[in-house]
Amino acid sequence: MKDLLKLKSSLAEEIENILNAQIKVEAHASALYLAMSSWCDDQGFDNAAAFFARQSDEERAHMLKLFKYVGDRGGRAISPEITNVPTDFESFRGVFEQTLEQEMFVTEQFNNIADVCMKSKDYVTFNFVQWFLEEQVEEEYVARRIIELFDVIGEQGTGQWEIDKHLVKVTFDEA
Amino acid sequence: MICPLANVEKVFDTEHGVVYQCSRQNCYWLEFQGTTTAFKISDLFLFKKRIDAIDIEAMLSESSRSYDFEIVMPFRTERCYLLNVSDILNLREILAGTKFMIQLNSEVKRCLRRGCVIA
Ligand SMILES: [Fe+2]
Ligand SMILES: [Fe+2]
Repeated sequence: MKDLLKLKSSLAEEIENILNAQIKVEAHASALYLAMSSWCDDQGFDNAAAFFARQSDEERAHMLKLFKYVGDRGGRAISPEITNVPTDFESFRGVFEQTLEQEMFVTEQFNNIADVCMKSKDYVTFNFVQWFLEEQVEEEYVARRIIELFDVIGEQGTGQWEIDKHLVKVTFDEA
Repeated sequence: MICPLANVEKVFDTEHGVVYQCSRQNCYWLEFQGTTTAFKISDLFLFKKRIDAIDIEAMLSESSRSYDFEIVMPFRTERCYLLNVSDILNLREILAGTKFMIQLNSEVKRCLRRGCVIA
């Protein structure tokens, strides 16, 4: 019997499903960072608001990168439903702690995807997710460094203003 | 009815229905409830998802008449399925068997391909 399955798609169903699940995670991250941007703006943290707006765009770009890959391999990418997006956050510091938690969660997800790819011998997708794994090193680093600013500068007096001023300077050097 | 020119092979059958693959048109024919319907492979799998997602428990526990049947009209077909609980179970069995056979065939083909190249 002719193999119509492979004519349609190079992605195993399991791989297509976990990639679609990750599309949803990235879309949710994008919505979360947009909410944080709005909150920071409301609280008067201009730079943090801009930082999270940019993060939100980046997460959407991640989502689209996965989206395109699923389609390119013959799978069906699913535009996800996003729910549970918070509108309020406890504190300036808390927002960044939640960011770090979110990024560590994403890293764990990609580790898991790489693991599934390895087990099902899909080294094409395994190779594709390497880019994301590398990206996560930067994402976690930046969040962690910004949290450290809260201790280094301190939040008393004009501290929060200083933190907001300095957090844009946190960058990641690969070398 | 299946196109007489079609080059069909049986994929899976039960006493309630059967699925054929047409390797000329690259599609599947589902014979069920006395009707025959063609699906592209992705549509067939979507149809399976749709049928698997029906909440049978709700159908059984709701006493209202409108819960006795589920209406399913798959896109890109002219079919309108009116399904009661036992129809749904029968259809699930056919679609699950079909999917398994399609995947098995693909796996066998993959092994054979390897054998050809290496041997
Ligand atoms: Fe991301
Ligand atoms: Fe991220």
